[in-house]
Amino acid sequence: MKVTIDNQEIYVKEGITILDAAQEHNIYIPHLCSHLELSPYGGCRLCIIEVEGMKGYPTACTTKVEDKMVIRTHTKTLQQMRREILQLILSEHPSACLICDEQEECSSFQQTIRKVGATTGCRWCPKDGDCELQKVVDYLEIDKITFPVYYRQLPIENHEPFYDRDYNLCIYCARCVRICEEHRKSSVISLRQRGRFSTIGPAFNMSHIDAGCEFCGACVSVCPTGALSEKGRKWGGIPDSYNASICPLCDLNCDIQVLMKKGKVIGTLPPGDPHQSGGELCVKGRFCLTHIINSPDRLKEPEYLFDEGIGIVSWDEAVKQAGKMLKDVNGKRVAVYLSPNLTLEEILAAKLFFKDIINTSNITSSILNSNLISYISLSEESISLKEIEKSDCIISVFLNGNYNYAPLTLSIKQKAEKGTPYFQIGWIKDTTSRYAYQQIIPFPGREKTFFNKIAQSIENADNSSPEIKELVKKIKISSNPIFILGPDIMGLTEADGILKIIKKIITLTGSKIFLTNPYSNLIGLLSLIDTKSNEEINELISQKKIDLLYIIGDNPFQKRPPVNSIICQSPFPAPDYLNADLALPSAMWGEISGSFADIKGNIKKFKAVTNPPGKAIQNNEIFDRINKEIGKKDIKFTYKGISKLIPKKLEMRFPFVKRKPLKAKISPPNTSFPLLLIQEKNPHIFYNISLSNNIRDMREIVTEDAIIMNPTDALKMEIQNGDSIFVKSDIYEKIYPIIVRKIIPQNFLLLITSSRTFDFNPNPCPVHIRRNNV
Amino acid sequence: MTELKKSDFEKKTIVDFKKDLINKRKQHGSLIPLLQSAQDSYGYIPEKTVYYISELVGIPSAEIYGVITFYSQFRLKPLGKHVIRICEGTACHVNGAKNILKSLQNELGISIDETSDDGLFTLLSVACLGCCSISPVIMIDSKIYGKLTPDMTKKIIKEYKKPEKQNVS
Ligand code: SF4
Ligand code: SF4
Ligand code: SF4
Ligand code: FES
Ligand code: FES
Repeated sequence: MKVTIDNQEIYVKEGITILDAAQEHNIYIPHLCSHLELSPYGGCRLCIIEVEGMKGYPTACTTKVEDKMVIRTHTKTLQQMRREILQLILSEHPSACLICDEQEECSSFQQTIRKVGATTGCRWCPKDGDCELQKVVDYLEIDKITFPVYYRQLPIENHEPFYDRDYNLCIYCARCVRICEEHRKSSVISLRQRGRFSTIGPAFNMSHIDAGCEFCGACVSVCPTGALSEKGRKWGGIPDSYNASICPLCDLNCDIQVLMKKGKVIGTLPPGDPHQSGGELCVKGRFCLTHIINSPDRLKEPEYLFDEGIGIVSWDEAVKQAGKMLKDVNGKRVAVYLSPNLTLEEILAAKLFFKDIINTSNITSSILNSNLISYISLSEESISLKEIEKSDCIISVFLNGNYNYAPLTLSIKQKAEKGTPYFQIGWIKDTTSRYAYQQIIPFPGREKTFFNKIAQSIENADNSSPEIKELVKKIKISSNPIFILGPDIMGLTEADGILKIIKKIITLTGSKIFLTNPYSNLIGLLSLIDTKSNEEINELISQKKIDLLYIIGDNPFQKRPPVNSIICQSPFPAPDYLNADLALPSAMWGEISGSFADIKGNIKKFKAVTNPPGKAIQNNEIFDRINKEIGKKDIKFTYKGISKLIPKKLEMRFPFVKRKPLKAKISPPNTSFPLLLIQEKNPHIFYNISLSNNIRDMREIVTEDAIIMNPTDALKMEIQNGDSIFVKSDIYEKIYPIIVRKIIPQNFLLLITSSRTFDFNPNPCPVHIRRNNV
Repeated sequence: MTELKKSDFEKKTIVDFKKDLINKRKQHGSLIPLLQSAQDSYGYIPEKTVYYISELVGIPSAEIYGVITFYSQFRLKPLGKHVIRICEGTACHVNGAKNILKSLQNELGISIDETSDDGLFTLLSVACLGCCSISPVIMIDSKIYGKLTPDMTKKIIKEYKKPEKQNVS
């Protein structure tokens, strides 16, 4: 199709907008509200053009090209009108500095901008130098505003996690609203009211948290002004470089780009144009990574436990001590805990070091318990994330997609929106719930029976509930049903039994399966090393068969176990109660190159972008130095030497587990214990720290060791956010603070624990509660 | 005003919608009638209803709230016992509607689109009441008061307040 833009004949595809056509041919038309990933909006009116034969001044972003169109984009009238329009926009935008004569000199008088609560002009705005509005002002050469300037005096919204909102800077382009709705399928915010009363936000006075914001940061990325700004990067300025990497905070290992300035990580974004890409990251990949790598709590120097107490030592001294401890001990009496966040290269080095040099086979990880093994062994049949696209019926089972697994929840939402029936089985309301054809809550305390009923109902027509009938009917008429399993199953006392039934259901119906887990390289760990279950190692420890514990980035204990010595090697300090004899600071993601394996055993590589803090060094180098000290064999542990040894295709081997009969009796709630308490281990763990514990903003959305309660229940019991309550089961009781949130249905309580074990048994557990201090 | 119970509301309107809409997400065309019927039933749109409709038709509450606040026909607060409409049309404007508005505001302690704390009065503004010849004009419930002065306005409002005071004592 041929069109003429500004006397230039160009050939364009049918169906694209005039703005896109112009941009493809490097003809600049000023625009603010249009956005690559979003449907045309026509809000800012800056992209007005003239088209021969058309009345008025259509907007280029909403008008499609037509054959032989003659378009003018830069006539005098147009530019004059654009200037008027832009001035109208600026009349409600703190912009003194945009047009101030002294703007160049301004920055030299700037003092502590961090202390300025509100943006008062462009040089005092977090977006200064990187703002689309500034660019258009420059282009249209605005040097005065003829209209009266009106400051809206909206309060700055900085009380919620991860990003601040200053709608005094907002130009109502609705990019944030549209990216949240169209791209992220969350629809948390909307344009409210009209005209000069317009504001942006959730319904009523709801907080973003309550409105279901995932804190994915897509809105922040696409905001053309400083209205939305990332708390952690607000005054960071423009990055020096953007480096490709992957996120290490769950097994999906999303592609990301790391923003660097002066050798420091200042932010992470999804791949693509930093201002255009809404991306598919969750809050962890988008906001948490920067916090963790720059955490002031990092372990920066080796520490040794002298008789007088802990002291900092040099690497030489530390290596000597480690050598001494390891030489003195019989290899069979060494146990090793590895973090599932280690890279393939680190795991392989650990294998060579501990198997060949130290001579131990007591290798495990704090997460390798029997339930995890039942769960993860299903992953041999797991499909890849992309294949979800092909399904025609989706069933998620105990998937808690809140603040997690964004690419997965996004593909569920996309499919469901297009009409694929989506059943959500489980208690928790997450970002996918709104899209569920049906959310099915298994009868409390009878979860196993529930799945059994589904299996029965598949085998022969029956008298099960209408919900199950509908589910089974839909699965049966689908040609490609997919079960998506969430790692929350692992925490249930009856996990093993439930998983067996699910496996049966899958075989009966010919369904596919997809598994997630919160660990970046669990698959790699299970593929490269023969491990033992941690139950087995714990037994060895309690039988006093272990003298030395070597813990790498893991956090397996609640108190010091009965062993002679403990070496902890991690990017973060070992917990105080462990009384580690030696703590060795290691480098983490961002500071090392390495690779992770995905659920299908495919390998994803990433590169170092910065140096470790203080004296921390790479795990492989630590092995190298200790090996030299004890010098039994000549093995090179360095990244280069090791990476050649990694097999092309990975296959998992599972540790042997002895299954003990269940001790706890599972029972439904009753009149004395009417509520069902669900315990979930905080999945947001990285090495030996919890993101909730380490990042204040994360703590606000995923609070550990607090009871989450439905608003209706809370109202009935006259309990408020922050109250403290007694939770009592038939054998245990404890006091917790309360958080009131809609993510859990009535008559359920949710407890996200910081510990690896649960206080209440079984899980879920019938309890009753009463207010503390009444 | 009789408040409908949720069950009545459900019977009257929701059930049919449910059948129709549960599988057709995001049918914005159906939202307006649903909101209108909520307002007809309750006299306004209670916050709870917004969440309820949202769950039912799968339209996010933020979007529904956006629609409600965009159209002036929808109210999020119940109307007062008496609805006062002040005309701000051209004729009334020229003949001093501003002063009438001021005295109303002084007397009631509320501005346009607000309801007094005692729930007695809601003040609304209209563009023309169609009786420009007796401007400036206000309408209380269905009664028209014309050729007003600020003092007259005060007196009228006092009249409306009287029976209520008696009830209290
Ligand atoms: S952070 Fe994500 S979910 Fe939250 S409002 Fe922005 S786009 Fe929507
Ligand atoms: S907050 Fe930013 S993206 Fe949203 S409407 Fe305002 S200027 Fe546009
Ligand atoms: S979904 Fe997983 S890999 Fe992706 S950003 Fe979140 S934590 Fe990182
Ligand atoms: S870019 Fe076309 S109207 Fe804003
Ligand atoms: S202008 Fe007031 S009644 Fe017409």
